[in-house]
Amino acid sequence: MSQDKASAILTAIGGADNVVEIEPCITRLRCEVRDAALIDEPALRALGVHGVLRAGGAVQIVVGPDADTIASDIEDLL
Amino acid sequence: MTLQVAAPLAGEVVPLSAVPDPVFAGAMVGPGVAIEPHPESTEVRAPIGGTVATLHPHAFVIAGDDGLGVLVHLGIDTVKLRGEGFTLRVVKGEKVRAGQPIVEWEPDAVREAGYSSTCPVIALDATAEDLSDLVVPRTVESGAALFTWNR
Repeated sequence: MSQDKASAILTAIGGADNVVEIEPCITRLRCEVRDAALIDEPALRALGVHGVLRAGGAVQIVVGPDADTIASDIEDLL
Repeated sequence: MTLQVAAPLAGEVVPLSAVPDPVFAGAMVGPGVAIEPHPESTEVRAPIGGTVATLHPHAFVIAGDDGLGVLVHLGIDTVKLRGEGFTLRVVKGEKVRAGQPIVEWEPDAVREAGYSSTCPVIALDATAEDLSDLVVPRTVESGAALFTWNR
């Protein structure tokens, strides 16, 4: 289940090729992406994400307390 | 069922809306309050008894025996300090009692590094209606009642 969610989140942020760095911080994924326009916010929200914050190429995806697990699952997919 | 959540450190209690971070200020991960720590508030204690569910140098989650999780975040954007200035007193998965020291830090050092030292204390995945006895602004001692979580 959590692998599926990690995979779906990765797709919604533009796939592995779009990810420069991803780092968990307790409740959120701090992502640096090549092209922030590829981030599919409705898809992320459909996955149960609490919120998406953008600042240039840095995007914070608020996933809740499972952020550490999700980030390491995403890293396994990169 | 009610869960008493204790202040993890001494300071000035402020509403989450005063926290300079949209995720906490918007209660995106849950309601709660924030504590602006006193300079001498170097020891951070478990707000509830339970298990250390998540542990970073700058933040941790204690999961109560009934599954409720309380998040304590030391300062804002302090993940960027990469653990410098934070000393952990427990390990992930450890059973802790309320009031047990979890981490030591220096709020003044965090402020001097250019970060807010405000500490959000969050009832994870709760709703605002689940919390009571939230009184702001006020001064709180470490270990004193911070709020009550009803569910």
